[in-house]
Amino acid sequence: MKGWRGLAVGAAALAVAVTGCGTSTDGGNTGNSGEPKTLTVWLMDGSAPTTLTDALNKEFQEANSGVTVKYEVQKWTGIQEKLTTALSSNNPPDVIELGNTQTAKFAAEETLLDLSGDVSNLNGGDWLGGLKDSLTWDGKQYGMPFYAANRTVIYRTDLFEAAGIAEAPKSRDEWVSAIEKLKAANAADPEFQSLYLPGQSWYALLSFIWDEGGDVAKAQGSAWAGALNTAESKAGLEFYKKLVDTSGTTAPKDADEATPQQFEVFAKGKVGMMIGLPWELGSAVKADPTLKDKTAAFPIPSKTAGKTAPVFLGGSNLAIPQGSKNQDLAKGYLKLLSSKKYQDQLAEAGAVPGTSKDTAKLATSPLGKALAASAPNGKVTPTTPAWAAVEAGQNPLKDMLTAYLTGAKSLDAATGDANAALSKTLGG
Amino acid sequence: MIAKKISANVVAVLIAVFFAFPTYWMVSTALKPTKELLSTGYDLIPFSVTSVNFSTAWAKPGFLQSLGNSLMVSLAAVAGAILVGLLAAVAMSRLRFRGRKGFVLLMLIAQLAPFEALLIPMFLMMRDLDLLDRLPALALIYFAVTLPFCAWTLRGFVNGIPLELEEAAMVDGCGRWGAFRRVTLPLLGPGLVATSVFAFVTAWNEFLFALSLIKDQTKETLPVWLSGFQTNFGTDWGGAMAASALFTLPVLVFFLIVQRKMVGGVTAGAVKG
Amino acid sequence: MTAVHTTDAGVPTDKSAPRRAAPGGAKRRQGSSFDRLLPYLLLAPALIGILWLIGWPVLSLFVTSFRKLNLKELTRGEVVWVGLDNYTSILTDSTFWEIAVRTVVFTAVVVGVSVISGLLIALLMRQLSPVVRIVLQVAMLLAWAMPLLAATTVYQWIFDQQYGILNKTLVKLGFDDFTGYSWFSTGTSTLAVIGLLIVWQAIPFLAFSLYAGVLAIPRDQYEAAGIDGASMWQTFRAVTWPELRPLMLMVSFLSLLWDFKVFAQIWAFKKGGPDGGSTTLPVYQYLEGISKSHFGVAAAVSVAMMLILGLLTFQYLRRLIKQEGAL
Repeated sequence: MKGWRGLAVGAAALAVAVTGCGTSTDGGNTGNSGEPKTLTVWLMDGSAPTTLTDALNKEFQEANSGVTVKYEVQKWTGIQEKLTTALSSNNPPDVIELGNTQTAKFAAEETLLDLSGDVSNLNGGDWLGGLKDSLTWDGKQYGMPFYAANRTVIYRTDLFEAAGIAEAPKSRDEWVSAIEKLKAANAADPEFQSLYLPGQSWYALLSFIWDEGGDVAKAQGSAWAGALNTAESKAGLEFYKKLVDTSGTTAPKDADEATPQQFEVFAKGKVGMMIGLPWELGSAVKADPTLKDKTAAFPIPSKTAGKTAPVFLGGSNLAIPQGSKNQDLAKGYLKLLSSKKYQDQLAEAGAVPGTSKDTAKLATSPLGKALAASAPNGKVTPTTPAWAAVEAGQNPLKDMLTAYLTGAKSLDAATGDANAALSKTLGG
Repeated sequence: MIAKKISANVVAVLIAVFFAFPTYWMVSTALKPTKELLSTGYDLIPFSVTSVNFSTAWAKPGFLQSLGNSLMVSLAAVAGAILVGLLAAVAMSRLRFRGRKGFVLLMLIAQLAPFEALLIPMFLMMRDLDLLDRLPALALIYFAVTLPFCAWTLRGFVNGIPLELEEAAMVDGCGRWGAFRRVTLPLLGPGLVATSVFAFVTAWNEFLFALSLIKDQTKETLPVWLSGFQTNFGTDWGGAMAASALFTLPVLVFFLIVQRKMVGGVTAGAVKG
Repeated sequence: MTAVHTTDAGVPTDKSAPRRAAPGGAKRRQGSSFDRLLPYLLLAPALIGILWLIGWPVLSLFVTSFRKLNLKELTRGEVVWVGLDNYTSILTDSTFWEIAVRTVVFTAVVVGVSVISGLLIALLMRQLSPVVRIVLQVAMLLAWAMPLLAATTVYQWIFDQQYGILNKTLVKLGFDDFTGYSWFSTGTSTLAVIGLLIVWQAIPFLAFSLYAGVLAIPRDQYEAAGIDGASMWQTFRAVTWPELRPLMLMVSFLSLLWDFKVFAQIWAFKKGGPDGGSTTLPVYQYLEGISKSHFGVAAAVSVAMMLILGLLTFQYLRRLIKQEGAL
């Protein structure tokens, strides 16, 4: 095996270095010139359907003879560790996918290629605003938007009907009364939850805080400080608690929507609503196909009747590491992906496409409609490089939610502590 | 006296339940259908049983490959650590030389180093050796982190074998090597087994380095493969449990085979030093 | 019991081995120079391995602790010296001290509980009928064999707030307060669960080691104590404890090394949360390093960790080295 030989060479080099009888102590790197090129592409687990990537890679290889696309799907678990080492290695991948909340960090650390000059070539006019912000650092663009998705309220049409709720709620008040009606109509079933809402669903909390006019952090010049102790943030948190209390959800208060996966709970049929992403409905339907015709979605309502609440625009950007040896090829790959054909496929798969304003393909399902309706009101987390550490480490927002919902801390104490912790992380 | 004996046995059985329960729970969760997993009913004993989680785990791409990778890396590391450790152990135990104390101290101090903190320096070192993305890098690292413990423990086992036995053999005409091979080595058997089990488990379990130093998915080790069940979007509990069970199985088989020797205890020899 | 301690093993008498001629003067000289080199030859692979693969990374960790090394410097190979800045920034931060104290207390509790439980189980094993003893030993092997990642997953599942079998069982037994009880709502209770996991996996090794030690105690010593009409506690004090003491010290030392450095389990549960309440030094190091990409600061934390661990084990190390001289 190649590796073992490398090891032997390394050991030999070391032996030479140790004994001091020095010839060359070069580790034995032999350049491989004249080799056909390989473009290494890292996309994340669950990002793009394989039908899309298969077609994309095939078309790219046909257009660039001698080039092989090495397409690797990465897991979100441990991605921070993997990117850290991959970007510092001698041959980093050529195209990487970064979560939009991560991108600023990698841009600010100067690990990504500046793509400002290529924006127009990459359909720049149609870039999704929220994502464009997330990949812009210091006035330059360090990536290309890939796709976005936001949360909507996914609900059971049959249960709504049975409870006498004529149409989807259009304001917070209507939402709360729908929760109450649903709960009353199903009071006989102790396992029924009108709304499934785990205690640490912090992306949902973002919506409520933004809807109140607050934010999690505020920029003061180039420095950021937490804003969780403001009246707006507290009001958002209180509304969260109202939802939990009104619905009587038995979801864990010390976990987010991932443990257990909320779609699994939803799929069991004893849940009226959940705040979720499109793929979560997809997975629920996969677990119980009868749900397909009994589910729909509405945008998270605002406290102002008739409006939708701002939503966290979750999503990804694509970027080219500075150390990439095939930067031009990588740009070509991004260009191909930004073409209408592939953007439409993304929309079809239930995501808001990153480089196209055409969401017609998306709005074919009830959920897609809700998605398309709320996406323009999408916002992102503070675009500071330090934000990535909030999510990769200890997230004060989650702790705040658990502490407040379980009654371990008062509203003031919970928001105060979390704000201090957040300010510290953002400041460092 | 009999009552005492019975109560001791009862207590022991309770303790055994405490130790065995997580394994039982792992297997029984893996056998439950997904729908019953998230049930609020009391399901200490599964209501119904399915093998679907096992087949999902088995069918998840890469299981056999990562099993092979894990075995290769772990066995290489263990073989190296035991061989090199044994040489050093014999020197420390049987020979007198300058710097012996210093070396023993080094073996102990090397165990103070925080493993996770070495990630970046080790990564840079492997990068410069051109070993990134290659299994030997992992084998080398696991070799290094288990070596001090192996050498030190084996030294204790060698100490436990009376020198007179070797001397007697030498009087009988064996050379030093012959005496070692014919007398000491066979007696060291259990010590070697116990020590290698320990090194094996360490290498088998390691996740962080395997994740960070290997990019190529065909070179994943089992822990990294297992982590795939835990995505950003949640844990597939049934699948994760089934995969965990598959992951545990090789170690368990190995343990049960060497069980009799394990009872000898890893450090029982070491303390005789 | 293993053959290691059997001192009465028959000496193999291999008469077929060719008898060597008595070594002559010249040969003897050669042999003795070889003898002088032999220990170093035997040690060389281990020495090179450790210095190269552990010594060098530790050294570079030490050097890094005086540098600013963020992702930018790491990817570009830039070297920026900042003197003692990393140290002043952590040492003046009260959270560092809070975490250090928490780590030491946590380690002490885990080591204490696991070593004492291990000893009790080892003593208990002697009293058991053979079948029960094997059942207990196999049960402990099950715990020992379960890979870390699998074990943390299973424990998280057992302690799950809503669906965990523990809460369900407690409710079934009449403790209704445990309906939806969250075991991970405070740092202390999170650490308690993690501590239980660590103890659970540590005991088998300890119990097996100590059991071997117990078996090595000559039976006649107990018989003598029995005749004197000594109580169980007195027998333990007079016979068992003195014989086991060195072994107990040794396993406590090893446990201390391992438990102080525990990282994977704590990280897997709540990443040191909530509110940083289950953060120990290894987790803190990781947060600074991998999460924030401040590798210089992380290196300083690691150096501090090694110093603390060195202090904690200093006495024992000195003892061991002293014994080494007495040999």
